[in-house]
Amino acid sequence: MSQKPSIGVFICHCGGNISDTVDVTRVKEAIGILDQVKVSETLDYLCSNPGQEMIKNAVREKVLERVVVASCSPRMHINTFRQVMKSVGLNPYLLEIVNIREQCSWVHGDKEKATNKTIALVRAAVQRARYLEPLTPEKLKVTESVLVIGGGIAGIYSALELADKGYQVYLIERNPSIGGHMAQLSKTFPTFDCSACILTPKMVSLSHHPNVKIFTNAEPVLVEGSSGRFKVTIRVKPRYVDLYRCKACEECAEICPVEKPSSFEENLVQEKAIYIPFKQAIPNASVIDKDYCLYLTPYLAVLGPPGKRGVCARCKKNCKSDAVNFGQKDILLDLKVGAIIVSTGFSLMDPLLIGQYSFGFHPDIITNIQFDRLMLQGLHKPSTGEVPKKVAFILCVGSRSETASGRSYCCKIGCMTAIKQALLLDKAVPEADPWIFYTDVRAFGKGYEEFYAKARGHLTHFIRGRAAEVIPNGSSLMVKATDTLLGKQIEEQFDLVVLSPALVPNKGTKELANMLGIDLGPDGFFLEVHHKLKGVETKRQGIFVAGAALGPKDIHETTMEAMAAASKVATFLGRGEKSVSPEVVYLIPGRCNLCGICVNQCPTKAISKGKNEVIINPISCNGCSICIPVCPKEALDLKNTTDEQMIAQIKGIAEGEDTTPRKIAFVQKRTAYGSVDLGGQNRRSYSPEIRTIRVPSMARLGIKHILHAFAAGADGIIFVEGEDSIFNEDRMRERAMLFKKDLGKLGIHPLRLQPTTTTLPQYEKTLVLFDNFVERVKKMTPITQEKREEVKKCLESEKIIE
Amino acid sequence: MKYAFYPGCSNHSMAKDYDDSTKAICKVLDVELFEIPDWNCCGSIDAVYSFKPLYSIALAARNLAITEKMQMDLVTPCSACYFTLNRTNKILREDAGTKSKVNEALANLGFNYNVSVRVWHLADIILSDIVLQKIKEKVKNQLTKFKIASYYGCYLVRPPEICNFDDPEHPTHLDELVETLGASKIDYYGKTRCCGASLGMTNEELALKMSKDILLSAKNSGANCLATACHLCHLNLDARQKDIESRFNIKINLPVLYFTQIIGLALGIELKQLGLQRNWVSPKEI
Amino acid sequence: MRARKLSNEKEQLVTEAKAIQIGVPKESMRDFIKEVMKMPGGEKILECIQCGSCAGGCPTIFAMDYSPMQIIKMINLGMKEKVLSSSTIWVCSLCYTCATRCPRNVDFPTLMMSLRNKAIRENLVNNCAKSNFHRYFFEVINKYGRMHVPELFVKLLDITNFNSLLRNVRLGLRLFKTGKLQLRAPKIETSWVSSMLEKTDQE
Repeated sequence: MSQKPSIGVFICHCGGNISDTVDVTRVKEAIGILDQVKVSETLDYLCSNPGQEMIKNAVREKVLERVVVASCSPRMHINTFRQVMKSVGLNPYLLEIVNIREQCSWVHGDKEKATNKTIALVRAAVQRARYLEPLTPEKLKVTESVLVIGGGIAGIYSALELADKGYQVYLIERNPSIGGHMAQLSKTFPTFDCSACILTPKMVSLSHHPNVKIFTNAEPVLVEGSSGRFKVTIRVKPRYVDLYRCKACEECAEICPVEKPSSFEENLVQEKAIYIPFKQAIPNASVIDKDYCLYLTPYLAVLGPPGKRGVCARCKKNCKSDAVNFGQKDILLDLKVGAIIVSTGFSLMDPLLIGQYSFGFHPDIITNIQFDRLMLQGLHKPSTGEVPKKVAFILCVGSRSETASGRSYCCKIGCMTAIKQALLLDKAVPEADPWIFYTDVRAFGKGYEEFYAKARGHLTHFIRGRAAEVIPNGSSLMVKATDTLLGKQIEEQFDLVVLSPALVPNKGTKELANMLGIDLGPDGFFLEVHHKLKGVETKRQGIFVAGAALGPKDIHETTMEAMAAASKVATFLGRGEKSVSPEVVYLIPGRCNLCGICVNQCPTKAISKGKNEVIINPISCNGCSICIPVCPKEALDLKNTTDEQMIAQIKGIAEGEDTTPRKIAFVQKRTAYGSVDLGGQNRRSYSPEIRTIRVPSMARLGIKHILHAFAAGADGIIFVEGEDSIFNEDRMRERAMLFKKDLGKLGIHPLRLQPTTTTLPQYEKTLVLFDNFVERVKKMTPITQEKREEVKKCLESEKIIE
Repeated sequence: MKYAFYPGCSNHSMAKDYDDSTKAICKVLDVELFEIPDWNCCGSIDAVYSFKPLYSIALAARNLAITEKMQMDLVTPCSACYFTLNRTNKILREDAGTKSKVNEALANLGFNYNVSVRVWHLADIILSDIVLQKIKEKVKNQLTKFKIASYYGCYLVRPPEICNFDDPEHPTHLDELVETLGASKIDYYGKTRCCGASLGMTNEELALKMSKDILLSAKNSGANCLATACHLCHLNLDARQKDIESRFNIKINLPVLYFTQIIGLALGIELKQLGLQRNWVSPKEI
Repeated sequence: MRARKLSNEKEQLVTEAKAIQIGVPKESMRDFIKEVMKMPGGEKILECIQCGSCAGGCPTIFAMDYSPMQIIKMINLGMKEKVLSSSTIWVCSLCYTCATRCPRNVDFPTLMMSLRNKAIRENLVNNCAKSNFHRYFFEVINKYGRMHVPELFVKLLDITNFNSLLRNVRLGLRLFKTGKLQLRAPKIETSWVSSMLEKTDQE
């Protein structure tokens, strides 16, 4: 490639769409005289076959090395013209498209001004084209295996689905058995399916599946690599029982001297320190709780009976299969996977936080999961063992609450669970008297309203009113409330009070999100990319979320999401390879001093510290450019939007003889640019003083770009960032504030820089801002030529302001 | 330990016994209280506040401004004053407009308040670890015959963002004190219920009923004594107990003591110094 | 004449009902809501989801004409006169039980104090005893800078209700006997009171 490549410029009439407003002949002539421009042509419909042929012929005949097409928005035809480039043997990235339709001819009326603007835009493109480089997207082989984090119903379901499709699946679960909350439930709404009966067969087939490897007592500790090629390190904690030797005879539990509350039974029942979590546990083997085992925690023996310190080991001595092994240590394993599904589920909020319900002050005040366990144990009052008759179900305990300890969202399952439990109680106990204290009954799923009707038919008391308090009163419990529909006070005695606590993200969710580099929503659950269209995808390609890890939901929705995530993984890995955009950040050799500022800034963890320089993983980098302006050594740059290319374009757009004032709008490539295009499609006119430059994100811009613009003749700058950008509004405004400060120091009015954000349909907001900005700048004293020279000098002396 | 002491209007009249016993035990426990010179009404929870809100805030702010000059934390035995002074701090901290208006009014009197005074309830101080330890050391009489129902009422614990002496639903600090003194604690329904003191003068019927519920629930749970930290509650539960008995035709006869009096008894301070003769329902039986 | 008046009233009722039904508050409704939202305690009234946990634990609800949640609902419907002339705002004992438990952070007791103030200013007070109490209390404070119980007591004695009179006199005597009723007025410097009142007396 020669140092001064020859450039061909092609200007489209678009059947009058452009040529009615823009004097294309004048543009052609003005551009034709620029250096290196070997061809400057106009034609009606460049995108048509004759148009494409004209470009091809010109390239062949005049040996063009760069092509500039001035036509409609690049969003329309960039691929058409890239194909043209390919067909004549030019790299597609040596093409530059100028948008003179949606952002020029369609939005301006004054032919003179529109033509001048077009000339400036095309000139800028020509300047930029001089520096374009050929780029090739990389193809990357993906690892055809999947890691599923969390072995509840969501994890089990997606793991099975993927294993059946033929992928190698690793399922990790931090508890000693898979099964999750669903394994604890009695019956499920609205069909009364026995929870264990529908879940455990799935657990068994998963454990026998040749494509599945299950790790229990395991957690991820490190995630490296990028989508398609993750390396995940997991820690498998010791079980102290050999999985393959243990025959699950449970003789060890019989002789174990230590009792502890069973977490599977929600602390309602005591179990031994060596135990099997539940009858259908997978893997079905004993496990030792090291916090209680006398052999493993000598300090506890101080509290317990003397003489047993560190020497108990009765289980080991008596195990016929010699399965107990106190010598087990943490094991770290590296798994290579192409994709990850996060299905870490939820936990219940501690009802202690909502003090008025006196949870923890009386054994008969329980949570709804505890009630399900009681149903399976044979319904009884935890205090006395009697059968409870009159039971209060209190809903919204901590849900729909704006208080410090509460949760603002609906728990989504409380109403249906209480209705289910009321019906179960009715079936189990003659003369049962269930009372449901509700705020609003939300029965929105298939068959749910009918289920609710059934409970009404069974004479359940439905009291519309959030209970005010529960008062332990000897053996019974008094509930105070208001029936808000009748306006009557209620003070009733109950045998049992069942609370529906808010659903909260599982412990460790935040740490996991950090480890994976994905976002959490304001509610603390994982955040999907789009609530409706990309419901199980995260901002990192190759990482998916399913089930209650995304927010409260019932089993039905969870399994749907689990299958959706599995399907997404299959699509992602199914091609065997992925293509990686070449528009990524690269390191300019010899500048980096390894200060590490960029490493912390990178949202996709693509930058790591090497020996002498940082290392950028081009596969992880998404080209957001947040790292570039923060580098004190200016060692980073972005392919296809290099500093050279940008500054050439800025100069091209801001310079020129015509006297119209010029404002540069830097517009984010994806959403914001589409939004401004939409304004054009709707013929929403605005001032031709606004000239746009398409950038990946406002994060790409440094103070030097701003100063170059002012030095070259711009008199105002607008940032239009997409609201969905990784570089969010707050960060953009923060950076814009720094630029404004610097401008102020140089004597340029800070209000000449205006940051804003937009969504695709919100073009009106952006364009109104354009109008107002033009008006505002008009009122300011113009920037003198001397001032511009001063700025230029400042740039030349490379004294970038601190 | 030195504190600026804000007695509140009641301590000088209706709650002389509270005042006496406070001074008596503080002397023994080395808690030095310096009465704020020329203090005035705290502004009241609702009476003045509902009538002239800004005036009420300014009244409270005057006391706080004087205290600010003393460079000490403020301590008050009255739950109502505790609430009002803390509320004033909160309002002035959060609302710059009100703050400047109040300071304008104070400027005439030669004050300027910077919202730096911390306000404690006397119970906060007495039940702090250090003082509690001291009490443990100096206890002379184990109050084994006392079965004490601690009564927290409203403004010790509610609203929690203003009065955070203890958990608003299940407070335990006074019960810890009770156990320290060798007495047995009584758990009962009325612990944090409202005694209706603010309605005492205007809706007596309602106030009597509310106080009755508290006294009965304590009595029925086996208490032979009620401990309180607020003289409005004391007025309603003690001085009005006869009225309650006659109005509802029941017998309650439950002595209501200030927690300071109870500590005083345990420390072996003379009954007269504790003002026990001023209690209407006599605690002599225990 | 009478018939027409009746039909007028009817008409008004119908239009009022309609305005509520279609959910577009009349100008005055909106004004009242906005006004309440600016008062201390009124900031969160639109957050209310009418769950009823305020009413359930309220110790004085038996003496109220509208429950706390109903008052909030009425404010949200702009029913200004009914709210300000309700007994609820005066019966509330300001125990803060509801505010402590409210899942939406509505500060009901503070709102009650603000509404009392509003009711006094707009002359819509329904419960004279309590509002008089506020006035007398204020007068006493204004006079002495501190509370002087005997004076307040005398001002408050309600000669129309014999039982209450008797009980209150007995209470006074009881306090006096135990030395808890100071007849002497508190003596502090009070020259500042009037200047402070002047500065802080809005409207």
